[in-house]
Formats: sequence, C-alpha cells, structure tokens
Amino acid sequence: MWTRDGRALPAGAALTLSTLAVVFYYPVGSVLASAVYDAGRLTLAPVVSVVSDPFYHDLFGFTAYQALLSTAASVVVGLPGAYLLARFEFPGRRFLRSVTILPFVLPSIMVAVGFLAMFGRTGLLNDVLGIVGLGPVELTFTLEIIVLAHVFYNAPLVTRLVTAAWESVDPARVETARTLGASPFQAFRDVTLPQLLPALLTASVLTFIFTFMSFPIVLALGGLELATVEVWLFARVQSLALAEAATLGAIETALSLGLIYLYLRFEATQLSARDEGRGRARAPLFAGWRSLADPKRLALFAYAAVGLVLFVGPLVSLVVESVTTAGGQFTLRYYEFLLAQQTSTASGTTRPLPAITNSLLFGAGALLLALPMGVVVSVVATREGRGTRLTEALLTAPLAVSGIVLGLGMLRTLVFGTTLFGYRITVTGPVAIVAAHAVAAYPFVSRNVTPALGSIDDRLVDAARALGADRTTALLDIELPLVVPALVAGAAFAFAISVGEFDSTVLLAEGVDSATMPVALERYTGNRSLGPNLGPATAMGTVLLAVTTVSFVLIDRVGGRWDR
Amino acid sequence: MTESDPGVEIEGLRVAFDGVTALRDISLSIESGEFFTLVGPSGCGKTTTLRAIAGLTGGVGGRVAIDGRDVTGAPPEERNVGMVFQNYALFPHMSVHENVAYGLRFHDLGSERSEADRVAELLDLVDLAQLADRSPEQLSGGQQQRIALARALAPEPDVLLLDEPLSALDAKLRKRLRVQIKTIQRELGITTVYVTHDQAEALAISDRVAVMQNGHVEQVAAPETIYRDPASRFVAEFVGDNNLFDGAVTADGSSVAVDGATVPLPTGAAAPAGESVTVAVRPEAITLDDGDGSAFAGTTLTATVETIEFLGDAYRIHCRWQGRRIECKTTVAEPPTGEVTLRFDAADANVL
Repeated sequence: MWTRDGRALPAGAALTLSTLAVVFYYPVGSVLASAVYDAGRLTLAPVVSVVSDPFYHDLFGFTAYQALLSTAASVVVGLPGAYLLARFEFPGRRFLRSVTILPFVLPSIMVAVGFLAMFGRTGLLNDVLGIVGLGPVELTFTLEIIVLAHVFYNAPLVTRLVTAAWESVDPARVETARTLGASPFQAFRDVTLPQLLPALLTASVLTFIFTFMSFPIVLALGGLELATVEVWLFARVQSLALAEAATLGAIETALSLGLIYLYLRFEATQLSARDEGRGRARAPLFAGWRSLADPKRLALFAYAAVGLVLFVGPLVSLVVESVTTAGGQFTLRYYEFLLAQQTSTASGTTRPLPAITNSLLFGAGALLLALPMGVVVSVVATREGRGTRLTEALLTAPLAVSGIVLGLGMLRTLVFGTTLFGYRITVTGPVAIVAAHAVAAYPFVSRNVTPALGSIDDRLVDAARALGADRTTALLDIELPLVVPALVAGAAFAFAISVGEFDSTVLLAEGVDSATMPVALERYTGNRSLGPNLGPATAMGTVLLAVTTVSFVLIDRVGGRWDR
Repeated sequence: MTESDPGVEIEGLRVAFDGVTALRDISLSIESGEFFTLVGPSGCGKTTTLRAIAGLTGGVGGRVAIDGRDVTGAPPEERNVGMVFQNYALFPHMSVHENVAYGLRFHDLGSERSEADRVAELLDLVDLAQLADRSPEQLSGGQQQRIALARALAPEPDVLLLDEPLSALDAKLRKRLRVQIKTIQRELGITTVYVTHDQAEALAISDRVAVMQNGHVEQVAAPETIYRDPASRFVAEFVGDNNLFDGAVTADGSSVAVDGATVPLPTGAAAPAGESVTVAVRPEAITLDDGDGSAFAGTTLTATVETIEFLGDAYRIHCRWQGRRIECKTTVAEPPTGEVTLRFDAADANVL
C-alpha cells in the first residue's frame, strides 16, 4: 500500500509523528524517565519511596474510591436516561439525545463553578431551600459534590452508549422471544440485557478512567482536603517539587495506560453486530391522564425532575449568579468588574479580556495544528497495511496521558530549555500551550473523521483510480469532500477542547499574560473581594459557556460524534 | 379445539398506526393444517396481519382465534405461536442449541421428553444436527433460516407464522428451502401462515393464497384459481404476467370492442351492452399463427414483433398492436420476426 499511495501519506504520517515526538513523546518521556533515572543512573528509588509511603497509599486509594463511587453514580443516573431515550417517544427526544455530547465540550472548571453556584453555601439550591424553610445544605468541599459533578460529565456518556446499544437491539429478536413464551420482563432479561452489557461495561470503564484522572473538578470542589493524584501532582508542581511530581506522574501514567489497554482489549472482543432491523417502535411518553397512573411513567417524570436539578441547575445557576447580587438584585457589576480588572495593573490578578483573546487565539492555533494531525491519523487508521497498527497506536497514545503530566513534561523540557546539537532551545509559554492543546484536541478530530472515511464506499475511490487519479488525488478529490461535515465537527470539537483546556494550561500559563479563560476562572473562584458570592467567576464562566455552546451547536448541526 | 375449528380465524381485523389505517376489516378463516399465504406488494398489510395473529401489534380492532381459542388482546407469550422473521432474529449471545431450546423454558414437554432430545429432534428435522454448538454468526444465511425455523417449531406451537423467511436468500437457495419448508409443514401438519411479496413463491408453496392490497383482501383462493381466474384487475396484474385489454361490451353483448378489434367474450361471461370491462389474456394463452391457413374461431390480431427474450424453455415475444404492447410466450423452435398473427380463444380470456 505504501508504494501505491505515493509519498504523501508517509510524509504526512512522518510529519505528524515528529510533531508528536517533539511536543508529546519527548516531554512525557522525560517525566517517565525521571522516575527511574537519577543522577545519571537507573534507579527505582523515587518509585519505591512513593510506593512505600502510606500517604501515597491513601492518595491512590482515595482517587480510586472516588472514581468507583462516581462510576456507580453515573451508571445509576445514566441508565434510566437510556431507557427513556430508547423506549419512549416525546417532543425534544432528538434534542435530548444530541445534548448528551454537550458535557464533552463544557470546560470542567466552568462546570465546577456552576456546581458551586448551584449547590454551594450561597447557591441556588440553598436559596430555594431557604424559601421553603429548609437547609442550608453544605456541600462545598465534600465528596458528594465531587461525585455529583462527575455524574454531570459521565452519566450522559452512559446514557449515550447504552441508548445506542439499545436502539440497535433487533426488535424481531425480542418479539421472537415473546412468541416463544417469554414475558416482557423475561424477554428483556434474556435478549435485550445481554446486548446492553458490553455498552454498559464500556461506559463504566471509560467513566472510571475519566474520573480517576479528573483534575479541575476535584481541585475546585474538593481542594487539597479531598485531593486526588492529579490534584496532588499539581500541588507538587506549584511548590516546585518537580522530581516528586514527575515520579507521581509516571506512576499515574502507567496506571492509566494499563486501564486504557484493558479497555481496548475488552472493546476488541465485543460483538459489533449492527442489525439492519427496523427500529423498535417507541411508546409515547405522554399518554394523556393515563400516564399519571402508570408507575413506569411516574418514575420517569421523577427522574426528569432530578435530571433538571443535576444537569440544567448548575448551568442556569452559573448564568443567574453572574447577574445577581448577594441580596438577590439584578446587577451587571461582575461583568463591569471583568472590564475594570482589565485596566487595573495590580499584581497577581488575571486580566479577563486578554484571557478571552488568548483563549480564542490559542484555540485557532491548536485547531490549525490539530486538524491536519487528526486527518493524517484517520487516513492511517482506515488503511490496511504493514505498520498501520503501530503507527495508529503511536498516534493515539496521547489520549492516555493526563494534561498535568504533559504540562509538567513541557515545563521540564521545552519551556525551561533543552540542548540539542549544541544549541539551546527554549519555547515560550504560548507556543507550548498551543502545542499541548493540539495534542489534546487532535484525537477528537480523528474520532470524527475516521468513521466518516471508513463509511465511504471503496468503489468510489476505485472508480477515481480507474479514471486516472492517483491515490492522494483520490483522497483530496473524492474522500475529503465527502467527509466535510465530520471535518467541521472535528474542528469544532478541537476548538472547544482547546478553549476549555485547563490541566496543562494552568501549569504552562504561570505568567499573567498567557492565562486563558479557564485559568482566569479558577483564579477568580478564589477571589472573594466582591463579596461572599462567586460573582466574577460566574461572569467569566458565562462567557466561557457562550463560546463552548456555539461550538456545540456547530457540532450538533453537522452531526458530529464523540463515540466510535 | 374441535374437529371443525379453523386453525386461525380472523374477524373484522382493523389496525391503524398513528391514525393511518393499515388494515381495514380483514376476515380470514384458515383451516387447521393448511398452508396459507398472504401475498401482496409492500405496504399492503400482509405483515401487519401476521403480526396481529402473533399479538405483536397494538391498536388492533376485531377478533383473532387460534384453534378455537379467542386470543384477542392476549400478549404474544400466551398465544402459542411460532414465528420466523425475515432476518431470522437468532439470539447472537446463545449457541444454536440454546437458541432452539429457548422456547422450551416456557413450555412443558411432559415428563418423558428431555429438552436435549427435543432440540436434537428439531435439528434433525432441519438437517443441521452437526451445528448445535456453533454460534449463529458462524452460520450461512440458509442455515440461520433453518435454525430459526427449528426454534419456532420447538415448543410445538399451534400455528407457524413465517414473515418473508426466504427473501434475504439467493434465488437457488430460496427455491430449495421453500420445498423443505413445505415438506416439514406437511410432515407436522401444522397450520401455517406465510407472508411473501413474491407471487411465484406464493403460488408454488400454498394450499390457499390471499392476495392483499391497500389493507384489504382482494381474493382468497387456491393458487390455480388465483392464477386462472383472478377476481380483480389488481390480482390479474399482480399474479403472473397478463395482457389487459380495456374496452366496451358490444351491442349484442357477445364481445368487447378494443380499439379496432373485437375480443369475443367467453361463454357464460355475459355483460350488459356498453359496459366498460377489461379482458385479461395470459401470454401463454396467445398462440402464433403458423400460417397453415386453418380456420380459427377465436380472436386474431396482427402485430409487430419488437423484442424477443429467450427464457430457456420458451421465448417471450413482445409485440406491438394498435400502439399497445402485447406479450406472448411460445415454445416454437424459431422465434418469428416482423409481422405476426396472434390468436387466442375466448375461453382463455378473463373478463374483469
């Protein structure tokens, strides 16, 4: 294949790989190396000191514990949603189904602020409870609020994956079971459930990985009291204990790589039986007054109410709090504050307008880098041939490494400077940020483009080749134009990921001038100079929400996909 | 059940989806042990009728009885029917054996018969005993179809329902399997309702056929009657090939005037003068005048040959007469060209 493809694809793959080598493999490798390499010798001392320290046992234990709790809670909240979406028809069903990808583009630091605005001491929940004479409920800095925020992110993932599996269950199979004598429950247990389990397991494993590596949510909602590995790692970097941080990062990366390896092995064994059967008819959700007497429907209405509080609540609270004073009056003070800070030069403050322009500029830069990288990965992934598997693995490995570890690696290498062939090379913060964002974003481009490329009828390309086009020309003339919607969706994803990226940015944007919106947001969360509420943070959060919502609308319009 | 109870009885069946009527007032009485086929173009309501018998369709009005038991409103698991779907719907997470055994969980076979025996018996019946431990996706389409049939028959259902069971298979296999289905049905003597859009398949396999269109039944009869004596223009066109002549009955009521020619009415098919009727003549009923000059009492048309198709055992000759297309089928050794004389007997013409 390589020879027939001409030189374009190998060249593209080589370019992508060398970019990754510089901005990903080298920095991350340096972090991993420092865990086993000390003063020029191989040693296990740093790892042993971490592994034998009871403090770290507790740290890893707590991280796994909260991930397990979050996974269980996400499944409990996500499953009824899949039942609702797969088995019932109601106005807005399609919208609800597509909105389950929204959390992936919402910056988690913004969601954390939304949760504080909703469930915090002065939040909307306590305001409402106060009116009816209850409360206040104190959830700030508790495990509960962390788990709830993780549910916000991951229950929609469970819903989405399980709904897709449920919709692909051939109704004729269920009907066959019924004609053979199975009751509706028995048919569900024997036929439907076994076909949902793989999706449910996939969603659970992914949720566990995501929540194990979760950072901004735990940082903002738990603080150092309830630190996970990532938060502690961040704290170590902040106090410049870089060696200890590197060891911690190496162990965490090894763990997450192991989990992802298990996940991929598991995913490969799954049946990919897509049935061509007609979709099973959905029951109407609203069946007049009768629906109030049906326990199933009553339970779903109650579920919808919980969903409203958990999913819509934080976002609405964010917007409401940004225009409300502590006394409950309408105000634009916080937005004025954003502008006022703009002109103030007090040290240590982060100016909002530069943060907004930074975010947009970095987003555009990351997009320009991530788009071609993602397309190259997709093209490699859809080709058969020697070396394809290895190349694909090398190109997708960045998914398994946390932003903190990448940021730390970049600090240690590119930003602090590195010597190559006698020349000292240093990279400035903004360049490093754009590179880190591109690394985080390009997998989303290829996740969108790969299935689209794969679904193109091979005969179209054959026809073009028979007419005289070489392989690369056929790619440019036939395949890429056919996947434009996927490219647009991937680009919107990449932009949103960049705009919302916090983990590596917070390490690389130490200076005031290269802060982005999420970084500014985190800093304002701690700034209570305008009173006890979250004013400035919520105002900044609302701006961030607006920008990412535009991305979501774009993705939704062109039918983007996150899973598979 | 008594001797006289029909295997399946449908009375006044009405089904509407989202306010659109899918079936209007269907009544059918299917004899016990009969092979009964519902045939019609897609959307005619044949599958809906089958699903109503199985209890898989909501919004049903009317009455359904199986072996004299009124099952109207009963859920499918209480009807004791066996159903085979077009895509077979084998359970992918169960082996062939487990698929066939599944229905036995819910049915008591009596103490002397074990589940394993029953499964082996059915796999023997469909000649696939050696595949018991395979997973469904290791089977070919034809094998999957036979396993689906064995699974449906395992719990000894009162009626076997087959929804286009062969339409996903290639033509040769389809012909072989329909013979096997027919043989098994005879052997077991099970009441069978078969749905297909393929009229040739319906004629080949059935004891009786119901031709459906737009949610109602056009004709119920034995295959020979459906073919030779269609009850409506729709049946005449849908089943087999037909030449249709529209015209008005002449003043003496003995023939139909179609453009320039007159087509004599068959004896006994008297129609009032001036009435508009359609005369249907099968291609194989039209013969070519071989020019021996013998007298002919039937209809004679002079037409021009346009296209000739070789069918193996015959030629299909497409002619043009008075601007109309006429098709005839002939077994002559050398197909004619140019101008030909076509003739057919009044007895071979159907008046609709």
